[in-house]
Amino acid sequence: MVTVRFRDVAKRFGGQRVLAGVSGELRPGRVLVVAGPNGSGKSTFLNILAGLLRPSRGDVQYLEDDRVLDQEDWYPTLGVAAPDMALYEELTAFENLQLFARLRGVHAHDHAALLEELGLAAAHHHKPLGAFSSGMKQRVKLAQAVLHRPSVLLLDEPSANLDEDGHRRVAGLVTRLRSEAAIAVATNDPREMAWGDASIDLAG
Amino acid sequence: MHRSTLLAESLAVLGKEVASELRRRVALNAIGLFAVTTLVAVAYQIGPYGLAEQDRPFLLSALLWIILFFAATAGLSRVFVKEEDAHTAKALRLAARPLAVLYGKLLFNLLLLLALEAIIVPLYCALMGFAVKSVGGLVLVMVAGGAAFAVTSTFVAAIIARASGSNALFAILALPLLLPLLVAVIAGTRAAAGSPELLAVFPALRAVVSLGGVTMVTAILLFPVVWRD
Repeated sequence: MVTVRFRDVAKRFGGQRVLAGVSGELRPGRVLVVAGPNGSGKSTFLNILAGLLRPSRGDVQYLEDDRVLDQEDWYPTLGVAAPDMALYEELTAFENLQLFARLRGVHAHDHAALLEELGLAAAHHHKPLGAFSSGMKQRVKLAQAVLHRPSVLLLDEPSANLDEDGHRRVAGLVTRLRSEAAIAVATNDPREMAWGDASIDLAG
Repeated sequence: MHRSTLLAESLAVLGKEVASELRRRVALNAIGLFAVTTLVAVAYQIGPYGLAEQDRPFLLSALLWIILFFAATAGLSRVFVKEEDAHTAKALRLAARPLAVLYGKLLFNLLLLLALEAIIVPLYCALMGFAVKSVGGLVLVMVAGGAAFAVTSTFVAAIIARASGSNALFAILALPLLLPLLVAVIAGTRAAAGSPELLAVFPALRAVVSLGGVTMVTAILLFPVVWRD
């Protein structure tokens, strides 16, 4: 189990302040909702938590059994789905999951069951992503984020482009994973906000 | 927590590159078009009889590598830019170790270059009447030169991937690294053409391996920083 601790995390891009001193903790079994209007820094904050962006001030720590992990050891524990992250359009849904399973060292995994859990019918599993709608791509992206059973799951607008059925399936996925992972959800959707045990509002 | 081996991750990246390229054929088309066009143009204008006998080994060696060099540059430089353009780099950054990405993409570029050489060199020799006295020497120079070009192109491509105007930047950054390499491989090819002794290519080969080796070590040390930052 991994806990993510962040202290006074701030970010500036040039002269513009995007985040101002956010502190808190992401704990296993709990869902942290990161809320705020467009441009309030939700995606930036998740990128900082993922180690993809360096904060201008403050720090982020990953703790496993009270041991602080090196940043290179964060990545195997992490699952991320975000709007600015794409998968390979020339590969099929199944090939994309196979690729990320190989990269993550996941040897036995039922990709088909995961895709079906997220509502992608078997008929689409072997079609290239380039032929998919935005909602279908989002389902594959979410499958990619969770196939290695991450200890930390960062979801940026997870129901974006999804229909009502898709939203229900993502809610089901979060419910299934919350016992084994620390989850952060960046959202403006009131239905997604309801998943949270705690929240951070970046509006101020 | 799962963790793959570096080799397995590198091969997964290589497999992805090959599958993507076979479906999109961006690099294959760029390289193939440039190589065939310049080869035909050079063969048509100069042909097997257009050069004086004493000039042939040097000029034909230089022309061969100019064709290979520019054809390769047209395709290899996009290996990282395409990840940034398609927004796939983020997923790759999170899932793979930096060195696995470097090795996978380097192996892909190397395969591409060796395939290009396997097609263009025999065609060039036939069309230009380029008689090579040491075929083994030529093969050694081609393989070592291809590897060194692949290393250098892949590393420079990684550095420029997130910059705007990356094509122009590739040329500017690659020039000082590739120019000495080009001089060395031309010397090696000339030596293979002029002497049946395998040993004749060794001085040039040493220079190629040294330049490629230094770039490889630099890439291994710097790439994780370039890729993560």
